Amino acid sequence: MKKSKPSLDERWESLSDAADKAISNVIKRGATHAEAFLTDTQATEVFIRNSEIFAENVTSDAGVGFRVAVDGEKVGFACTNLVDEKAIVESAYRALSIARASTAIPHFSLPTASKIPKVPGLYDKRFEAIDASDVVDVARRAVEAAEDYDPRVIAKTGIVSYQIGKRQVINSLGVDAEEKFTKSFIYLGGAGEDANEVTPSCDDYELKRSADINPEVVGENVAKMVVAQFKPRKIESFEGTAVFEPAAVAYQLFDALVGALRGDAVATRRSAWANKIGEVVVSENLEISDDGVLKGGFGSQCFDDEGHPSQTTEITRKGKLLRFLHNATSANALAMVNTGNASRDVAAGGLDMTRSIIGGGYRSKPGIYPSNLTIRLGNKTQSELTSEVEKGVLVEAMSGFVQVGSGLISAQLSRAHLIENGEVRHPIRGGMVSGIAFDWFMKVSGVGRETKQSRYCIVPSLRIEGVKVLGG
Amino acid sequence: MFEVLEKCLESKVASLADLVQIRGQRRFMSVCSVQNGFVEEFSNITLSGVGVRALVDKMSWGFSSTNTCDETNALKTLETAVKLAKASVKSKTQKIELEPIRGVVTDISARVRKPPSEASSEEIAQIPFQAYKGAKEAGPDIVNATASYIGIQDEKFFASSEGARIRQASTRVLLMVNAVARKTDVICPASETAGHTGGLELFDERQPYDIGKYVGLKAINLLSAKAPPSGKFRSVIQPNLCATLLHEAIGHPLEADLAMAGGGFGKQIGALASSKLITIYDDGSVPSGLGYFPYDDEGVKCERTVLIENGVLRSFMHDRTSAAATGVSPTGNSHAWDYSVEPLIRQTNIGIEPGDYKLEEMIEDISEGLLIEGTFGGQADSNADFTFGFQSARWIRKGETAELLRGANLAGNAIQVFKTIDAVSDKAVLRPGACGKYQFAVQGRIVPAIRCEITVGGTGG
Repeated sequence: MKKSKPSLDERWESLSDAADKAISNVIKRGATHAEAFLTDTQATEVFIRNSEIFAENVTSDAGVGFRVAVDGEKVGFACTNLVDEKAIVESAYRALSIARASTAIPHFSLPTASKIPKVPGLYDKRFEAIDASDVVDVARRAVEAAEDYDPRVIAKTGIVSYQIGKRQVINSLGVDAEEKFTKSFIYLGGAGEDANEVTPSCDDYELKRSADINPEVVGENVAKMVVAQFKPRKIESFEGTAVFEPAAVAYQLFDALVGALRGDAVATRRSAWANKIGEVVVSENLEISDDGVLKGGFGSQCFDDEGHPSQTTEITRKGKLLRFLHNATSANALAMVNTGNASRDVAAGGLDMTRSIIGGGYRSKPGIYPSNLTIRLGNKTQSELTSEVEKGVLVEAMSGFVQVGSGLISAQLSRAHLIENGEVRHPIRGGMVSGIAFDWFMKVSGVGRETKQSRYCIVPSLRIEGVKVLGG
Repeated sequence: MFEVLEKCLESKVASLADLVQIRGQRRFMSVCSVQNGFVEEFSNITLSGVGVRALVDKMSWGFSSTNTCDETNALKTLETAVKLAKASVKSKTQKIELEPIRGVVTDISARVRKPPSEASSEEIAQIPFQAYKGAKEAGPDIVNATASYIGIQDEKFFASSEGARIRQASTRVLLMVNAVARKTDVICPASETAGHTGGLELFDERQPYDIGKYVGLKAINLLSAKAPPSGKFRSVIQPNLCATLLHEAIGHPLEADLAMAGGGFGKQIGALASSKLITIYDDGSVPSGLGYFPYDDEGVKCERTVLIENGVLRSFMHDRTSAAATGVSPTGNSHAWDYSVEPLIRQTNIGIEPGDYKLEEMIEDISEGLLIEGTFGGQADSNADFTFGFQSARWIRKGETAELLRGANLAGNAIQVFKTIDAVSDKAVLRPGACGKYQFAVQGRIVPAIRCEITVGGTGG
């Protein structure tokens, strides 16, 4: 942690001033509303491949995206990463011109100025001095921790990333919010080789807002998982209990929840929970919320991607659905309260290829996504969750998609163990689980008391009854 | 743009590296999405930038990128790339002895008959609007219909210290349609994507309205369909699903970087790797494929590479580094989604040679099985273990198609599945595709229908 880098401030100031000017210009030319979203980020990333440092990347990206409305609800979006004033102002004019050729978005809305909370732990000054060699060192420590644990373990793939940046939202309704952020991330995937046997790949990750990521912990976790995967056996099909560990909950089960909770999906009736406010939709022991202001939370921010203050949103209580997640437009469409979940993240585009092609951040208009979707911790230790199971599977990771809307999950067990009479017997080769996620949420018989921070959620293990397990 | 790149190559810092590759890019994207009758998104995205890669001491690559393309920033980016490469030289154990390539100087533009840039905003908006209309008019049970048009115009500049100066211009057009049908609590989605390298002539043969109608009708028909069964079935996989299976589960393990990391095909060139009916190739020179690239992002010409021939493993897909490590020539598979990311080994237009079966003949030999179609995306690991969603299926009973079934997921090991292929249809279809291997990419797939044994994870009986 040495060698200071030039600050982001110089480029930022001119970008911000030009965006401000562009908003005034389009309003003068007849726009009803205008908004600019700006970011400037620098990322240092190191990639691991086959036990070695494979590549080192430093990338720098800045840009501004404009949403401009005419006649109230006709909206155009244009963005540029050409950061001179002329290009920025032209980009806003382009958004204005597109808006004129567009049709009205019913209930289109931008937030008005509100008090922005101060969320601690979202910026770590130490990132300003982090050098590529520091990041290489973190990656190397993770590889060593994994491979020193057991000689059969090979660190196959991985990434260590440190990102530092600024974001700002300005709109013609008085919103002017700005914050700095830092994010660090480590992911390591490994496998084991012994005689003629190769284990499935096992992975672990850690996401932080501070520079304190723990490569040794991640490396060792991967190694432990790998070692536990030797000598897998095929199983017969049965219907039983599944204990989903946090990494499994954070993927397919999370996707099903998001599909049901997004305000835009509710407004267009794509959500399975579209008309279920006040109804029991999950087991009583499953208390779900979204916490955008969690101290040091990976998905926390002081304001969402259209400048509305972040907040904590209670979603279910005693199994009943209380509210959905909204940005300004979906809240307006459904006459509900804006929950500060406007997101320009690529994930907010769902499986739609559009967002993946154009990219996230300043390159896209906001959708809706959770910040830190949280399932409240239960009281079961990991061994309690499995010791009460007569026949079931312990699922560390699955692959396969949930069909958002219907909630259909049929996922391959990429890393799982058979449980019989309360004991975790052996790793499973092949096999799938299938069912409807929304039925599963009603059959949660146990919630773990340990949790894990994933990209968009913080969830414990869930034990679910009546899961169809298909043998390999 | 070349002027800035030249200045970098002439700089002192460039001489510290064994090889410098600089990629400049200008990209303009136009997006128009219509959801439920209104223009939900209408965007113009203007991007430019420079990505620099430097090989130092024949051991280590460094990469850096910036969106600020002036000489000062480009030089700074080169300096960072060299510094990064130097920082990790000590940790590298393997020399990178690249096969020298001729520094090509060329200027190539992909063929575009109807450039999107010549269409007005109103004309562009009509494309997704008509597709939406087609989906909506499929029936009253359509509760949500979205159509998204994307036009991508790229101008790429490649300059290397080996003397290459390559300018490539291309236009790509895509249309994605999603429809959701709903009756009480039954929700059925369906989707279709059309896309190619070229202009708005994409819609000359298949109009946006017709694509929308096809998707809407599919979603509505699924409302009354049963859930699919679970278990292993002899199945006919239609090209629109075979494309995903080929790309995800066979294509990825044939990428040399994943293969070298212990992929499912091992390193056994010459070994029997699939059914003898199967010949698989990758071909970046297919002009209308979404993965059309005359040259890759290391300046290597993209040509047809036979990967599996009559079931026998012939080659992997390589960039220059993996080719050097395994003693073969690069295959033109080093691609970066844009200037901001480092190139890595990607498929371009991957294909399966057609066989000699009619689709009806493939069905009539099955006493009980499934005809499966459509994709909801999927994933696979380097061992070729895959899981991906299909949109719908039909029972095949006594050689005839029977009742319609909803979508679910398929899973298994693709290498094992491909060994069970006993029929390949006589017509290969060019499909658009996308890939998210570390970074995004649009690609083509040229696929026939195949008949194989595959595991379905349905919830029905």
